[in-house]
Amino acid sequence: MLETLQNLSLGFSVALSPPVLLYAVVGCIIGTLVGVLPGVGPLAGISLLLPATFGLNATTAIVLLAGIYYGAMYGGSTTSILMRIPGEAASVMTCIDGYAMTRKGRAGAALAIAAIGSYIAGTVSVVGLMFLAPPLASFALRFGPPEMFALMLLGLLVLAYMSGGSMAKSLAMAALGLLFGMIGIDPMTGFFRFHYGLVELGDGIGVVPVAVGLFGLSEILLTAGQATPPEVLKPKLRELLPSRQEWRDSVWPIGRGTVLGFLIGIIPGSAHIISSFVSYAVERRLSRHPERFGQGAVEGVAGPESANNSATSGAFVPMLALGVPSGPIPAVMMAAMMIHGISPGPLLITQQPELFWGFIASMYVGNVVLLILNLPMVGVFVNLLRIPYPILYPAILVFCVLGVYAVNGSVVDVWLMAVMGALGYLLRKFDFETAPVVLGLVLAPMLEMSFRQSLAMSSGNYAIFVNRPIAATMLLVGLGLLLLSLRPILTRGMDWRRRLGHEANPGLEEGNP
Amino acid sequence: MMPRLLTALLVLLLVLPLGVGAQESFPTHPLSLVVPFPPGGVADLTARPLAPVMEKILKQPVVVVNKTGAAGAVGMSFVANAKPDGYTILLALSSISIIPEADKLFDRKPAYTLDQLTPIALISADPTVLVVQADRPWKSVKEFVDDAKKRPGEISFSSSGVYGTLHMAMEIFAHPAGIRLKHVPYAGGGPALTAILGGHVDALASGPAVVLPHIKAGKLRPLAGWGTNRIEALPGVATFKELGYENVEFYIWAGVFAPSGTPANVLRTLRDAVRQSVRDPEFKAAMAKIETPIAYMDAPDFQKFYDKDAKMLADAVKRVGKIAEKK
Amino acid sequence: MVTVDRVGGTALVLLALGVAWEAQKLPVGTPHNPGPGFLPLLLAIALGVFGTVVVAFGGNSEPLSSLGWGEGRHAIAILGACAFAAMALERFGYRLTILLILVVLFGVVERKRPLPVAVLSLALSLGSFYLFYNLLRVQLPRGPFGF
Repeated sequence: MLETLQNLSLGFSVALSPPVLLYAVVGCIIGTLVGVLPGVGPLAGISLLLPATFGLNATTAIVLLAGIYYGAMYGGSTTSILMRIPGEAASVMTCIDGYAMTRKGRAGAALAIAAIGSYIAGTVSVVGLMFLAPPLASFALRFGPPEMFALMLLGLLVLAYMSGGSMAKSLAMAALGLLFGMIGIDPMTGFFRFHYGLVELGDGIGVVPVAVGLFGLSEILLTAGQATPPEVLKPKLRELLPSRQEWRDSVWPIGRGTVLGFLIGIIPGSAHIISSFVSYAVERRLSRHPERFGQGAVEGVAGPESANNSATSGAFVPMLALGVPSGPIPAVMMAAMMIHGISPGPLLITQQPELFWGFIASMYVGNVVLLILNLPMVGVFVNLLRIPYPILYPAILVFCVLGVYAVNGSVVDVWLMAVMGALGYLLRKFDFETAPVVLGLVLAPMLEMSFRQSLAMSSGNYAIFVNRPIAATMLLVGLGLLLLSLRPILTRGMDWRRRLGHEANPGLEEGNP
Repeated sequence: MMPRLLTALLVLLLVLPLGVGAQESFPTHPLSLVVPFPPGGVADLTARPLAPVMEKILKQPVVVVNKTGAAGAVGMSFVANAKPDGYTILLALSSISIIPEADKLFDRKPAYTLDQLTPIALISADPTVLVVQADRPWKSVKEFVDDAKKRPGEISFSSSGVYGTLHMAMEIFAHPAGIRLKHVPYAGGGPALTAILGGHVDALASGPAVVLPHIKAGKLRPLAGWGTNRIEALPGVATFKELGYENVEFYIWAGVFAPSGTPANVLRTLRDAVRQSVRDPEFKAAMAKIETPIAYMDAPDFQKFYDKDAKMLADAVKRVGKIAEKK
Repeated sequence: MVTVDRVGGTALVLLALGVAWEAQKLPVGTPHNPGPGFLPLLLAIALGVFGTVVVAFGGNSEPLSSLGWGEGRHAIAILGACAFAAMALERFGYRLTILLILVVLFGVVERKRPLPVAVLSLALSLGSFYLFYNLLRVQLPRGPFGF
């Protein structure tokens, strides 16, 4: 403990030294800008700016990249809340209640809660990173294909809690999303599936064009042509801050989101994207008024945003503690380290204490910087909403196209966004939810891959899922959740029968005492 | 002295009146160095230091463009179909030879064919190294092979993807050794490494740079290398050749290509530029940092190396066949 | 009665049938050794099942005629702009494409006055290009004459 604090003070001395601090701030600003751009998320941001770090020394480079990462996560929530356009895949859930809050005039509150929740989650998770990195990392490594499969299945079950409307419709949308995820090269056998000659579809449909199209573009398509344009909201200063009730409602979601996000984030792979989905579902399930979700419940913003940010710290755990690239973003960070001559590995903490602790300290600093940057910006951003919609939406459209194109430099993505926009328009017209599609798309590759990898490992024997303790536990939990979720259907079914009984014998009811 | 003379000649060439015939001096505007893999990978890490050094020599910006997708096929077919004027060049890895073969296997129209690209130079060639999980019992290749023969199809290995370089490397060893291993493909080199570190598979064929820290920390044990010579950082690890496997050689190499049909003088300029770049101290330092030895080969030698490598990989791909049909 | 849900559900069922057909062209394999077509086929069946459930219970939803398509013409124009963007982005370059789209959207679709249209379109297209290409070094396509 004492040693950790000593190391931390070493780290802070590094992180707060003017050049490093400057780069942290610059990284945060760039990251926010990048994150505000629809679709361009932290991975794209870091990849784009990786070359710019070549001239810097190792610590500064890593601090800059980490700042971009955090900034992008903060920035992504801004467009989600204000315009229903996900800044990146993980912000999709924030779009739902965040935008609903904006329509009710509570945009400022939503932005503020998102920023503060992100700050708390970011800081707490860095503490977790500090103290728990090595043991957690070894635990995380034990997540093999069967465990991943169980986790993905759990993620799917989360859908049962996410949806407000008809279960069948949500499940159908999830199946659709999963099918979208099957497009591309099958990683197990090399077959191209459903690609119709387009080499660019070889890697499948990207999450970014789908999320931006299904959420952002569909919103524009539905709203732009309305006979009466949406009200121009003129928020007063007082309304920018969250009300006391909103604060109170956010406390537990932030706490739960932080823990949940961190745990999901440490799992190797891209599982951290689903942290916001899981948090939304958990909040909805635990809420006493679940029908508020989707109409502007502040818990639907506080939980997912916190989960998002703590998942980003969690994602660094395996990378820093063991030198394992636990996902595409840590992989790019590791590459950045290698370019600067540092080989990340299990001995990183002991061999490069300055880098490790400087990195951690700069994460604290980064969170503070972003909070300071973002809170005042709330006023600025909300004022953007004063622009009449007919002038606003073409500008938004331009940024959507820009963002979607910038990720891969491919026009196929722009086409995809347009197609998904049209699809989202139709789906919402016909009263289907679009969030399960995105969840399905995100889960599909990991779900299928871990399923078939597990069977490859066990040579076709399904017992592998029960023989391994972690996987078996998660599957049991999933089964339990599934049964719990079915209970309302059963009880509702009984209500239906009882009601029918009343209608058939109305006279009997009065007669009974 | 030589490089300076060449540079002076190049500058002269560029400064000559442009009105002389249709042949303008190459290059007159920025070039794109296309990397068909995402940032942070081996190809990207090799291209990044190369670009600014080539820029110094060619006196025109050399921009690294990542065009990712389909295990590299998107970027490779982009350059294969690009205008052969020398302004769009490719930095490819050895998987370039595998993709058209895999396409043939699936009766697909190939994304590109090997004769659409002409080699300019080889930059680096990382011999792969066979590592096993540290708590598995095998301490030498012989023990590994013997055990594999006793339990065919049970010892597992991870790879960066089916028909990928790491998969093919293992296949090139397993075939002459007469053993059958269990292949568990992952989505990339990173996850493949994570898998073996977590003990979910037994073995992995990998480029040396990423596994070195784990070998030093005792988590992985190296058994043999696929190179002609021993790996510099692992002097105690024998090569397959030394152990008697004569034709088992595999490098994850990175080379520069241009679309076929690029005029000869443009090719010459590019070759010269690359030749000088690999001698540049900045470039050498950058490659040393990512622990990738420079193994330069100019076009004619590279062509021979590349043809031989392509044939070996094509045979391996055909041998592996269509996995889904086998069982 | 033609209700919203019935139409939606039927569309899903049709899609499911189409996907199932495509999926069974790939090697499906067995549950012990699933091939590339296994999970897609399974999912297509699931989609079909859920779609059928939606149709079955679809009698309770709104009638199809109650759906308003008033914003449809605007929507088509915007989609057209997106399609144009996809086609023109790499041929004409970013700035020109975006300029054209904005002029059409501001001027034709929203019918604002010419001067504000021109100013806004130029400002947005050139400004966004400068911010992202020059300052943030995002690769945006340049069209003919490097514009």
